[in-house]
Amino acid sequence: MDTSSPAVFVNAELLKMYQGRRVRAVVQVMRNEGGLIVGQSTDGHQLTVKVSQAFPLSHFVEVIGIADGNQSIRAEICTDFGDTYDTLAYNGLCQLANGKFKNLFL
Amino acid sequence: MYGSQFDGGASLFSGGGFMPSQATQTPESSFSKSRGAQGVLPLTVKQISEAYHSNDDKSNFVVDGVDASNVRLRGLVMNKVEKVTDVTFTLDDGTGRIEVHRWVNETSDTNEMALIQNGMYVTINGSLKGFQGKKHVVAFSVRPVIDFNEITLHFIECIHVHLENTRPKVLGGVSAQVQANPISGTVTPRTPVSNQFSSRSSSSGSETDFYKLVLDVFQEPANLAREHGLHVEEVARLLGLPMEKIKDAIDYHVDVGHIYSTIDDNHYKSACNG
Repeated sequence: MDTSSPAVFVNAELLKMYQGRRVRAVVQVMRNEGGLIVGQSTDGHQLTVKVSQAFPLSHFVEVIGIADGNQSIRAEICTDFGDTYDTLAYNGLCQLANGKFKNLFL
Repeated sequence: MYGSQFDGGASLFSGGGFMPSQATQTPESSFSKSRGAQGVLPLTVKQISEAYHSNDDKSNFVVDGVDASNVRLRGLVMNKVEKVTDVTFTLDDGTGRIEVHRWVNETSDTNEMALIQNGMYVTINGSLKGFQGKKHVVAFSVRPVIDFNEITLHFIECIHVHLENTRPKVLGGVSAQVQANPISGTVTPRTPVSNQFSSRSSSSGSETDFYKLVLDVFQEPANLAREHGLHVEEVARLLGLPMEKIKDAIDYHVDVGHIYSTIDDNHYKSACNG
């Protein structure tokens, strides 16, 4: 087993704290710009994600990759979560996983 | 042909209840085991990495003081390798990676595993094993995640179960246990204990609280169920307190008769369980 490179649950707010680290976030696709997704994070901010494929508009996409800017992620793995997703619950989990219960995740 | 038939027979034989651990089990221990059965514990890989072996049983792990032999994990499948008798892959749940083995005996097992591909989110129910210091999971079932909200749910469940298992047990809970077990009624009257203690050596109230903290560890149902009780080091690790203090508290509880030593001078068990 290996826990050396975890992917931290983040929203746009938490992303800033993990520059250069591995993160995971869910974004709702607003635009595809050729190798780039512009999407909305679970806390309602705009994020750009460098990807290798396009995703359907308004779909929720989970991105696992490296945080390479305050509002940007370089994706390694993308999973289409479909067109409905409970962003409120996910955002709550981001906060719990970085707060009181960090020791269960990192 | 003969060879494969023989192999089939051999695997049936070894899987058919001729496990040494069962054969040598005493009636009491199997009783306490069924009583202590926890079902499936939702965990993160990070939590498993910190789980430690309980000393009395080779295959048992403990997380938050609770037996973690059956676990549920949810994450991405990587490096899937199919062999004749089993399928192995790495599960990455974002907190870490762990090896998973799935034995394929029946056609239904093969069909289930054929669906699983690299990059897929899956839910695994399985048993946690340790082999040469390396932990892995032997899965009973591996199923694709269809509703991705389940990923959020899984981690929220991990937090919930962690909270539930680490919550300080309130006195009410212990007294309910006392009522259920007449023998312990003579053993756990709280107030006389602290009086007795303060007359024995005039220490501060915080030290009595500390003694109670140590006793509470022994009183936890999962620990009561263990045949050999707890190792001193486990108690120290659970409470995150220095060994000398723990040993001091244990000496006290042994003197008073709350706990007793089991297989050696490092293992103690609550007298509460009869």
